[in-house]
Amino acid sequence: MAIPAEYYLILSFALFLIGTAGVLLRRNALIVLMGIELQLNGGNLALLAFSHQLGDQKGHVFAFLVIALAAAEAAVGLAILVGLFRSRQTINLDEASMMKR
Amino acid sequence: MNPANATAAATYSPPVGDIILFAIMAAWVVGFALVTITRRNPVTAVMSLVATFFGLAAIYAALSAHFLAVVQVLVYAGAIMVLFIFVVMILNREEVAPLALRPMRLLGVVAAAYLFFVFWKVVSQGVATDVAPPVVPETFGTVASIGDLLFREFLYPFEAISLLLLVAIVGGVVVSRSHQKEVAALRAADYRKQVEQLASADYPGKQEEPSASAGGHH
Amino acid sequence: MTFDLRLIPLLPFIGAVVLMLFGRKWTRDTVFIVAALAIGAACIVSLDAYFLALPDAGEGGLTDVVMTWIATGDLHIDLAFRLDALSGVMCLVITFIGFLIHVFAAGYMADDPDYARFFAYLNLFCGAMLVLVLGDSLPVLFIGWEGVGLCSYLLIGFWYSSTANADAGKKAFITNRIGDFGFLLGMFLLFQYTGSLSVPEIASAKGPLMQTLWMGQPVAFWAALFLFVGAAGKSAQIPLYVWLPDAMAGPTPVSALIHAATMVTAGVYMIARMHAVYLLAPAAMAIVALVGALTAVFAAMIGFAQNDFKKVLAYSTVSQLGFMFAGVGTANFDAGIFHLVTHAFFKAGLFLCAGSVMHAMSGSGDITIMGGLRKKLPITHGVFWVCWLAICGIPIFSGFFSKDAIIAGAWATETFGHDLAWVGKVVAVMLMLAALGTAFYMSRLYFLVFSGDETRADDHIKHHIHESPPIMTFPLVVLAAGAALVGLLGLPAGLWDHPDQNLLYHHLEPVLGAELEVSHNIEIIFMVVSTLLAAGGIGLAAVFYRGGYKEPARAFGAQFPGFLRLVQDKFRVDELYDAVIIRPLKAFARGIFTFVDRIIVDKILVEGTGVIVDVFARIARTVQGGDGQRYMAVFAVGVALLVHFATQPTLPFTKLKVTQTGRAVEVDARRGKTASSRSLDYLFDFGDGRPVIKGQGAEQRHDYDRPGTYTIHVTVEDPRWGTTDTFKEKVEVR
Repeated sequence: MAIPAEYYLILSFALFLIGTAGVLLRRNALIVLMGIELQLNGGNLALLAFSHQLGDQKGHVFAFLVIALAAAEAAVGLAILVGLFRSRQTINLDEASMMKR
Repeated sequence: MNPANATAAATYSPPVGDIILFAIMAAWVVGFALVTITRRNPVTAVMSLVATFFGLAAIYAALSAHFLAVVQVLVYAGAIMVLFIFVVMILNREEVAPLALRPMRLLGVVAAAYLFFVFWKVVSQGVATDVAPPVVPETFGTVASIGDLLFREFLYPFEAISLLLLVAIVGGVVVSRSHQKEVAALRAADYRKQVEQLASADYPGKQEEPSASAGGHH
Repeated sequence: MTFDLRLIPLLPFIGAVVLMLFGRKWTRDTVFIVAALAIGAACIVSLDAYFLALPDAGEGGLTDVVMTWIATGDLHIDLAFRLDALSGVMCLVITFIGFLIHVFAAGYMADDPDYARFFAYLNLFCGAMLVLVLGDSLPVLFIGWEGVGLCSYLLIGFWYSSTANADAGKKAFITNRIGDFGFLLGMFLLFQYTGSLSVPEIASAKGPLMQTLWMGQPVAFWAALFLFVGAAGKSAQIPLYVWLPDAMAGPTPVSALIHAATMVTAGVYMIARMHAVYLLAPAAMAIVALVGALTAVFAAMIGFAQNDFKKVLAYSTVSQLGFMFAGVGTANFDAGIFHLVTHAFFKAGLFLCAGSVMHAMSGSGDITIMGGLRKKLPITHGVFWVCWLAICGIPIFSGFFSKDAIIAGAWATETFGHDLAWVGKVVAVMLMLAALGTAFYMSRLYFLVFSGDETRADDHIKHHIHESPPIMTFPLVVLAAGAALVGLLGLPAGLWDHPDQNLLYHHLEPVLGAELEVSHNIEIIFMVVSTLLAAGGIGLAAVFYRGGYKEPARAFGAQFPGFLRLVQDKFRVDELYDAVIIRPLKAFARGIFTFVDRIIVDKILVEGTGVIVDVFARIARTVQGGDGQRYMAVFAVGVALLVHFATQPTLPFTKLKVTQTGRAVEVDARRGKTASSRSLDYLFDFGDGRPVIKGQGAEQRHDYDRPGTYTIHVTVEDPRWGTTDTFKEKVEVR
């Protein structure tokens, strides 16, 4: 489509912003991980927008690698989460945190 | 918008159909993203995230990123989200109060919003708006061309990423392994050591025994 | 002329160090040999210096500069020694009598487990005393002064496991210290006004010394007075004498050496040394003389009623020191030194006899249980007899000549001007009373201890009475010989004309100036009077005490019980000091401790610092909540701030500079970041309807057509980011 790149860029930052809000404001660790996924997708969108703008496919490759990375990170993060649940019986970050308030 | 530029040349404005389409897709994505982060029920959140990813795939397609659109659906919406769903099913808990509206965190969100605002301004400034966006060739973003890049220029990162995935698999297995057998083995070793100590240790009132009696204690 | 004078104090110092390091591992004999060798060698060097080198030395005597000690600004002091007639005499006395006492102590302290430590301290003391007398300038003298004070403390409290002994040592040191403060003040004054601390230089600075300072008195007066305070502390004069009787808690050889022969005479020596200053201030000398005479009488009175052998001798020492001060106070410096020398011999002899007697009496010094020791301790008795007659001032024995020199010299002194002419006479009379008293109490001591047939002690003490071994009696005899014969060194000039007479005075003349010319007749009169006084005192004592406590003594005691108790309590001076000085000081100290130490230092400063740090830490800790998401939030805030300041065109707090001249206005929007190479776009709107000016630099000039109040808007834009800043400024145009 013939939409200028900056529209996509603003959308990507909006996604990133929503993801950040999710990371900062939620107690449920699962939701926090989902917020991280949103942030990553925001970044991906920006990459692809520039790639389209500049006609360079390197951005696509980069985004592809980001997706692979997000998959790995999600896998390990969820595994840790499961372990956390096993030892703390909760995935509420406030309850599970051992760092002193 | 820089007024100087405004007077210099005519602003390009995209065709209406494109704008409407874009608006629908943008609203879909943003809307479902907001739903994701505000739900109490994690299952709902996961579902809406899946929807977000579908919407994003559509946007990628609009950006001529065909290969990536498909990868997005396959990997992100297909694999990663399935993972999420599995875990959500295991750990399904509802939150009492979903959002932790603490002052510092809100400040962080506000800061991020401000960044967004600055970003908007900067972006509006940077990219030239008097010309139509460039048209990309037909082979842009196709499987063949991306594959070509992946296996030639970016072979090393490609192999590295596969190694990373292996590491992730191993890590996932290790982290989520059950430690019960280990704990039990440790406890047994401790117990054996205790028994040995008591058998050989000096304690007040101990009489010299002609034969070593293991486990004898007062 | 230079001579290795440093050896004289150095040898005993080396002895002290060696004994302190290794003494405990050596046998007693080795320790004694090392110590005696050290002091003996010092004696030999002194003899060599005094008799062989000094005569050829010329003016100023023998000198030895060891090193430059202090050289800053106006102050230049060398660590230097000088041996002239005066310090030579002192050296000989110290080393010779010191040696004899070392020998005595070998026998006296033979059973003491801390043998090596004792001799180490004894050597250390001798070294310090020698530094004192040989010092060429006041600071070096002061080193020795402090050193002997320290050794006095160490030796008085030698048997420190007893609190009483330790307290006595402390008392001596602290009282000394009070005197030292005066000494220091005197030194400061002298340095301030003469620019030097070396004795000859001070002596020649008569002009500065005679400047009027306070209360109409010259510098010399105040310096002399402060120095006398120091001397009073060291030499146990009123009011700082209280430590000397307590100092008898130390071993008897210590009492003999330090508190009879040497350390306590340091004050007299110092005044003789500084005679040039004193001669410029007759008022100060009058004070010295009067205090000395008063002390002589006062201490003699206390001596009447003491029942401890060494305490009697202690008060006797105070009294005799008073004589010496009276001597130097009336400008008879040579007489004072003469008495110092004779006193050293007979007082040391008396103290060693006390040691011998106490040794025989199983350690007791209580004269009420003694008596009849004449037959049981013949050698000790003989020595005591000689020294007793010497101190009483019986002719031929040394004390006679020296005491007489002082009394006659005081009467005939010419050093006081018209106003103070009475001082000499008063001093002489007081001294004669003191001489009478001396004769009385010393004879009392003699009779109660030695006379009679029966010893009043219990049997288990009586059976152990025995004469001391030769190692102890040998020094006794030598000292007795000295006590008898040393007087011949100072036969008064007025008596007959013999070339060898007044040897001592002639020797001292280069240093102390010519002796006083006392007329022949006065001399004779005083000799006769003193002899009569001495005889009277002895006779009175004989009546009271010969053979034991006789009836007159008891009757007197019954008649004046209150007075007797007062005298026995040493006139309760110690109690007075305790009430007036010590108790308030202690209360003050306690107050300071509670207030300053507990509250200010402990609570406010120490705990307070902790509390302040704690408060800040608590505040700072709120930054780290331990909440991971919070950290991310802070991260986001930080990034936002960074981006903000990176993209803003102008720095914060930038203001427009508007200068107005009449109707024209100059606006300067340059501030902050515009100094960098980046170019910003400026837009000026002067608020009067005229078109805006943009893109033409940061400074604009504008003329207003009509008067009024205008608002100038300036918009700064960063073309790279598109971020803008707007400034508003109101301007009034007339």
